[in-house]
Amino acid sequence: MRIQRHRALIAGAATVIAAGAIAASVAFASGSGATGSPGSAAAHSRVAAAAGSRPAGRAALNWFRAGPAPADWHQVTLPGGGAVLSYPPSLSPMTGDKGTVSEGFTRSGRVLVYLNVTPRQGDETLSGWAHFRVGHLTDDDASSARLDGAAGGLRFRGGPGSCVVDDYVTRVHANHYREIACFVRGAHASSVVVAATPAADWARYGSLLERAVDSYAVR
Amino acid sequence: MTSRRLIAILFGAVIALVTACGGGSSSAPASHPSSSPPHSSSSASTGAAAKQKSSGGIPQNGGGDHDSDNNGGPSDGDGNI
Repeated sequence: MRIQRHRALIAGAATVIAAGAIAASVAFASGSGATGSPGSAAAHSRVAAAAGSRPAGRAALNWFRAGPAPADWHQVTLPGGGAVLSYPPSLSPMTGDKGTVSEGFTRSGRVLVYLNVTPRQGDETLSGWAHFRVGHLTDDDASSARLDGAAGGLRFRGGPGSCVVDDYVTRVHANHYREIACFVRGAHASSVVVAATPAADWARYGSLLERAVDSYAVR
Repeated sequence: MTSRRLIAILFGAVIALVTACGGGSSSAPASHPSSSPPHSSSSASTGAAAKQKSSGGIPQNGGGDHDSDNNGGPSDGDGNI
């Protein structure tokens, strides 16, 4: 009798503990599901935040119409022949990296108009151009950079291109520039064309820069 | 003999309870990385790009070419730092 009572007690305790173990497992499983939901919600909110931080879009590049430069503009060909930059006669050559072309207009040592063409050197792609350019600005010589607009699938003379309009502040002298920067893929070579002016002078020189980009040609 | 069996069941149940809790806690961190890879992968690719940028290519200011972009002038179109 005593042994039976003892067995019953042990059996009861075993049942309670086993039930507790099962309940704990189920509860934990649903609990981890619950923590998974906020996790995925957090992931969604990160995506939304990233989407929210995207630039205004193509509006900043609605002016783009590929076409020939004005008749009185000059032309310079990138060494290697991969691209042709057209620029107004008021600009003159500027010092730049070997293998690139730079034309500009300065006053009292201040660069007011800057055009540059550089062959593709790094990881530039048509689809990743906006990310690349703004990232490169802050990696290189800007303390801050802001993407004001971006567009892909633009038809340049000779090939497709992706462009950004952005503004940045240089690390040295904290100069604030606004630029159009495009990555354009030609049949034989890809290149980057940059057209920049101090942000405060955009109203004055912006249309000239746009015209230079419109007339940019790749081969 | 039967009593020993019951004790074995009891012991097994305790082990099951401990395992259930321990296993759960090890799966919790696993759910965190599943939401973070997009972040880490993009930063990794940026780092890789930065590494690539710093090697080779057209010489920059450090190479003595005197271009404007590291002297407060507009940035050129180079893909290297």
